[in-house]
Amino acid sequence: MKPRFSLDLARPSRRHWLGYLLLAPAVLLIGLIIVYPLIVSVDISFQNVNIARLDQPRRPFTTANYERLFTSADFWNAAWVTLKLVIIVSVFCFLLGLGTALLVNNKFKGRSLARLLVALPWAVPEVIAVVIFAWMFDSSFGLMNWIFIKLGFIDTTVNWFSSPAAAFMVVCMTMIWKGYPFVSIMMLAGLQSIPEDFYNAARVDGANTWQRLVNITIPSLMPVLGVTLVLVMLWVFRDFSIIYVLTGGGPLKATQTLSIMTYEQAFGFFKMGYASAIGVVTLIICVIASRLMIGRAPDNI
Amino acid sequence: MLRRKLTILAATAALALSTNMAFAQNKVLKFVSWQKDERGVGDWWASVIKAFEESHPGVKIEWTKVERGAYADTMTTLFAGGNPPDIVHLASFEFQKFADNGWLEPLDPYIKESKLDLNGWAGQDTCVWNKQTVCTMMLYFGYFLAYNEDLLKKEGLSVPKTYAEFLEAAKKTTKDLNGDGIIDQFGTGHETRGGGGQYISEMMNYTLDAGGRWTDENGKVTINTPQMIEGLSRWKTIVKNNLTPRDMSAGEVRQLFADGKIALKMDGPWLWPIIQKGKAKDQIKTAMVPFNPPVGGSSNVLAIPTDIDKANKKLVWEFIKLATSDQLQSTYATLGASPPPSPRADIKAAKAENPNFELLVQATQAAAKAKVDRIPKGLEINFNEFSKMIMEEAQRMIIQDLDPKAVAATMQQKAEALQQQ
Repeated sequence: MKPRFSLDLARPSRRHWLGYLLLAPAVLLIGLIIVYPLIVSVDISFQNVNIARLDQPRRPFTTANYERLFTSADFWNAAWVTLKLVIIVSVFCFLLGLGTALLVNNKFKGRSLARLLVALPWAVPEVIAVVIFAWMFDSSFGLMNWIFIKLGFIDTTVNWFSSPAAAFMVVCMTMIWKGYPFVSIMMLAGLQSIPEDFYNAARVDGANTWQRLVNITIPSLMPVLGVTLVLVMLWVFRDFSIIYVLTGGGPLKATQTLSIMTYEQAFGFFKMGYASAIGVVTLIICVIASRLMIGRAPDNI
Repeated sequence: MLRRKLTILAATAALALSTNMAFAQNKVLKFVSWQKDERGVGDWWASVIKAFEESHPGVKIEWTKVERGAYADTMTTLFAGGNPPDIVHLASFEFQKFADNGWLEPLDPYIKESKLDLNGWAGQDTCVWNKQTVCTMMLYFGYFLAYNEDLLKKEGLSVPKTYAEFLEAAKKTTKDLNGDGIIDQFGTGHETRGGGGQYISEMMNYTLDAGGRWTDENGKVTINTPQMIEGLSRWKTIVKNNLTPRDMSAGEVRQLFADGKIALKMDGPWLWPIIQKGKAKDQIKTAMVPFNPPVGGSSNVLAIPTDIDKANKKLVWEFIKLATSDQLQSTYATLGASPPPSPRADIKAAKAENPNFELLVQATQAAAKAKVDRIPKGLEINFNEFSKMIMEEAQRMIIQDLDPKAVAATMQQKAEALQQQ
């Protein structure tokens, strides 16, 4: 008996159906896990909701959360702290990552060990890294105060987490330590894909080390660099655990980024409508920044 | 005919009984708590669960630990998702948000029906929200003073009985012992890092003694009073002069004290088990705090969620009844090493076991008599925001060396704004 309906995926005209079919579970999952909560967040951000519940009737539409957000000094402070953090951490991660990648790309004795050491911070779980840094910078019994006093840099202990500038610096250092190995690994992969012929030709033309770096290495790394910088920037933007465990956003909101502010409003003060508004604005900033960086990348190659 | 009817009735009854039994055998009540695995009080919860399961064959309690730091998020998510735990355990400063959303079952009908006597139950007034009882208080505490006798004797000091004596003792015992420029021993210890709730509890040692309160009994903000300004000045003196280690969590400070690095520590009953495991256990003695009244307050509550079925609500109420029974309140004193909230609990065994127990009772009574609570009246619903604001303004006062009078005025203005939200 002939089946009433059959899907012949072998037919050339329907071959692409198989692709859609195979993609469907992943697309559905992404829709469920990412797109649906995103839509709900946008919806909640336009309601005056304290603790959101999906089974409750929708509250009236309001732009009050956004009005409050854009007139809030705390929001602009958090945006400024986030921007500072993104720039400082990304730049230092790039410099350290590129430097260490160039170093371990050379042939020398113990290169494998050096590569392992460079990549090590990346493998350390974030919370453990934070605990180590918190102990190192402890105001009363920390290693850094002891070292600085012994070296004569300071004559009294520094209260690292009671000073806005010092706390911000500690957060930056922790994030750079945790983030630079990723850049290093990506750069190393990029360096190994540059043909040796380029360098040989440059040497024949009389190019020195600096000229080879500026004219061959950096331009060849640009595609990798663009993607890596976007990933690092997004990581700094959304990172929560390092700041939360280290300073909780303090002192005096000196380390309060947009993600810390979102969490605090949602789960500290139970103002989920307002927290959603911060989340939506953060998302928009991230999308614009990523688009600008990725969009510009091909021009730089 | 009658025989047939009786047979059908018997068969129906048997079927109903077996269905109920099968249902009961599969019954699992979810209980989420941050106190699981805590020495003392965790053991007491385990004993309540065991007693409940023994008296309710076929009903099991699935006890899950969630860390305190992630507790509010987890509970909010569970409630918001319509899947709350059956037995609701919350801190006394956070249940108000849940009650305000209508997520906690009013307990008055249950209390009335089971004739549960909550008269004289410490801190129970806190559980009344919008004129309805929504929880039962599981702990009300008062701070006591623990001091390192050796450190005081070395400086020729006696146990402080006033703020002036306390300050003198704290200054004399704060020392750089090996001359490396780093202070190794502190006069006292306070948490100055972490959540606002703990921060304001630490500050209250000084503000209460100076006669200040965050709000009056009608809920009116009273931070810009001379008493509160004096209290803020005292807090600034202690922290700014590094008489306490800086930027440490409450747990770290307690451990430092237990190990003999701090001379004086005001804290609640939970400090006692930590002292017992510390290096300076033999040098540490206890007394009433040198401040009047001592810091005190409600700690944690049990409640029933509105979102569970009627049968489960009944079972949870039975669990609450058991936890509040005279027998288990008596074992709370011995296992939890804290004064139980029940006025009928037999605490003789606890007194015999713990030489510190009488003092704990005295401290709790002194705090209760002065109606001290870290959750200010009129700011219950905004407590997290309020405590965070107070912490930040106090930090600003210390970091930027601001005048406490100006800081009190800012706090007053911000607290009033919070009340009007």
